Amino acid sequence: MRRNRRYSPIAIFVLAQVGWFVLLGLWIFWYVSNYMIFVSAGERISPQFVFGAVNVVALVGGIVLLVALASAFALIFASLSQQMKITRMYDNFIANVSHELKSPLASIQLHLETLSSREVTPEKRAEFVGLMIKDAERLHALIHSILEISGLEEKRRVYDLRAHRGEALVRGLVEEAVDQYRLPPGAVEITGQAPCACRADRRALKVVFNNLFDNAIKYTEGPVRLAVSQRCTSRHFTVEVTDRGIGIPEKSQREVFRKFTRLYSPDSPTVKGTGLGLYWVREIIRHHRGRVRVISEGRGKGTTVRIELPLVPPRRRAGPRER
Amino acid sequence: MGTNGAEAGTILLVEDEESLAVGLEYNLGEEGYRVIRAADGAQALERFDSEPIDLIVLDLMLPHLDGFEVARWVRDRSPQIPILMLTARTAPADRVRGLELGADDYLTKPFHLKELLLRVQGMLRRKSWYRKTLEQGARYSFGDIEVDFSSLLCTTPDTSFRLTPLEAALLKYLIENRGRVVPREELLENVWQTKAGVATRTVDNFIVRLRRYFEPDPSQPQHFRNVRGAGYEFRP
Repeated sequence: MRRNRRYSPIAIFVLAQVGWFVLLGLWIFWYVSNYMIFVSAGERISPQFVFGAVNVVALVGGIVLLVALASAFALIFASLSQQMKITRMYDNFIANVSHELKSPLASIQLHLETLSSREVTPEKRAEFVGLMIKDAERLHALIHSILEISGLEEKRRVYDLRAHRGEALVRGLVEEAVDQYRLPPGAVEITGQAPCACRADRRALKVVFNNLFDNAIKYTEGPVRLAVSQRCTSRHFTVEVTDRGIGIPEKSQREVFRKFTRLYSPDSPTVKGTGLGLYWVREIIRHHRGRVRVISEGRGKGTTVRIELPLVPPRRRAGPRER
Repeated sequence: MGTNGAEAGTILLVEDEESLAVGLEYNLGEEGYRVIRAADGAQALERFDSEPIDLIVLDLMLPHLDGFEVARWVRDRSPQIPILMLTARTAPADRVRGLELGADDYLTKPFHLKELLLRVQGMLRRKSWYRKTLEQGARYSFGDIEVDFSSLLCTTPDTSFRLTPLEAALLKYLIENRGRVVPREELLENVWQTKAGVATRTVDNFIVRLRRYFEPDPSQPQHFRNVRGAGYEFRP
């Protein structure tokens, strides 16, 4: 998105603040230089009004007024900056989502028009129908993710937090993701031991794992190889998903969790995405009172996503709902 | 929809969306075109170098090298290849940038199959029409500007640059009809090879580009004059 850089809002703000303070200085200077004139004129016109306390009040009142104006201007500036940030975010959202909506829609329309206007062999018909179903599923997934994130932000989403054995949880989620993305045998290796239990909503963590696998596949050229490691510390169950993809530069590693943020790079093997995936991951992990971070040594060196989930307190560990 | 038989050409289809590429390849193939597919910008350049191409259908949002870069690269090497940009990006700025980089047409997703096929057909017809017009006279000078229609190279006292095939065809048509006011509809029919009323603004956009290239002051045009309600007139 190209931004209008002719008028920088920060420059306008700084200039305005400098203007206010220069005005304040001039006012004090003018007041002090004319103080004696005011006093003598006041004595001649109405001697009862001229006494020290009133002058001090007038001076302080003026200063307070100007400082208040400067503060109000700062507040307006902060509010405008926030609005501009939201507008930019909205623009990113429109650009990303319209691409993600229009591409499958264009494909469905193309195949429908093909089927209605041509004599298509049964094999081709089956192929086109299959492609349309895939596109419809893609549209459904996109709309579902937007609605889910909206529910998450408005706290309408209630988590079904239960105690899970770390190893069993990870093994199950990895197997489901491997199945969903049709990864070949041996593409994912699980290492480490995690005999501890953590509190998690399994359905929400499935979204997390699917997003991590989806990113790993999208940003890896050639065959996908993933390493999933797990361990328990005194307070957390930690799981790391490492790919051999294009990696993320250090300065962008926090940025990737921001809503609607997508990193553009000529190395990237894909342009698909809405900029919602890792934001969704972060929000889910936050609701679990856990932490998520991205570790990468830079371009071409792969990416590790580390997730830490709090352990179940020992007294609840053997509860009847443990899985 | 029928096939174009022996007149059909080779189309380089640059599209990273697998399902869309499959559908387009099938339909263009059914029309008699030979289709070569590329799934990203880098692949598109490879295919372009290794095969004789008559037309490019180019997506804009591509991995490795976006459609704008591919168009720029192709234009540097082959100014006469028609490029149809096919994209989900609908912003006027993208459209303008695409046309400035040498795209001959711009179609936004989702699109109608019939419209796409007609545009492809029209572009290939223009290409062959343009080839024929070249045989009739390859150079023209007006003022201190020289246009070589065989290489699409324009030389002014300050600089030299290349026109796109469509710009050159429009310029050639106006030159051939110099001194006469040519209606937009006539230009659409004879240069764009399309029915009048489809996109008369397209003519205006291309005239703006010619003015920017050739007029000392594009806001006060001397060579490409607009006669209100009638059309455009070229004065050498």
